Amino acid sequence: MTDTAAPPRRLDPIVPVAVVAVVAAYTRAIWFTPPERVQGFAQKILYVHAPAAWVAFLAFGLTALAGAAWLFLKDPRLDRFAESSAEVGVVFTTAVLVTGPLWGRPIWGTWWTWDARLTLTLFLWFIYVGYLVLRGVIPGREARARAAAVLGILGALLIPFIHLSVYLFRTLHPMPVVARPEGPTMPPVMLKTFFLAFFAFTLLYVALVRARLALAAERDALEDAATEA
Amino acid sequence: MPDNAGYYHVAYAATLVLYTGYALSLVWRRRALARRRAGRPGSGA
Repeated sequence: MTDTAAPPRRLDPIVPVAVVAVVAAYTRAIWFTPPERVQGFAQKILYVHAPAAWVAFLAFGLTALAGAAWLFLKDPRLDRFAESSAEVGVVFTTAVLVTGPLWGRPIWGTWWTWDARLTLTLFLWFIYVGYLVLRGVIPGREARARAAAVLGILGALLIPFIHLSVYLFRTLHPMPVVARPEGPTMPPVMLKTFFLAFFAFTLLYVALVRARLALAAERDALEDAATEA
Repeated sequence: MPDNAGYYHVAYAATLVLYTGYALSLVWRRRALARRRAGRPGSGA
């Protein structure tokens, strides 16, 4: 498939929309959402921590799906999407791993504990960092895509375990406060901030993946041109 | 209410730096590719 023509270099319209949404989420969380009475201001870390975790799961889930689709269709666009989504997912997982301890220190009294959810999230980060390293060391495009697809699928198998770890294991990590059968336990003013942050960071994911995809398409076009020359 | 605002300030600042830094890395890498395309030395993605 000849699909590696360099895309036009102009600002993706989703970028300003995502930036406005993220600024709105931070602004509302900082200035227009009250702190929680028991946890204090540290509770506001939830508005950047939980959406980052959601986006990381989304990113790696889509990496796995794109990888699985590539194994059947061999369409290079699927491989580029998997690569882009994995890289952005690593950025969001890094945000999870940075903000989690910043909440844990004032609330639990420790930066880190080898609790099931924390440990599995760290493993997930290592797997997808490994995924990106693997892509960098395999020279052939098809061999690289195949190995990455397999690792991307295997890595995503951790996601349901991480999500269910608070039910499956004795864990310090809080139980869900929104996605629960009895309904959210948060006051509406906090819930609105929470949903705005989820929306904003999901938009940011889309904007970053589209930018990373354009980069990958341009790189492949350059490699193709060098091969043909 | 506990006095722990510093942790949330650091968390918000850290995420902003992380996301902005990654977005800038995409811009830089794209510029590096453009330089390579133009035939000047540099590195790509």
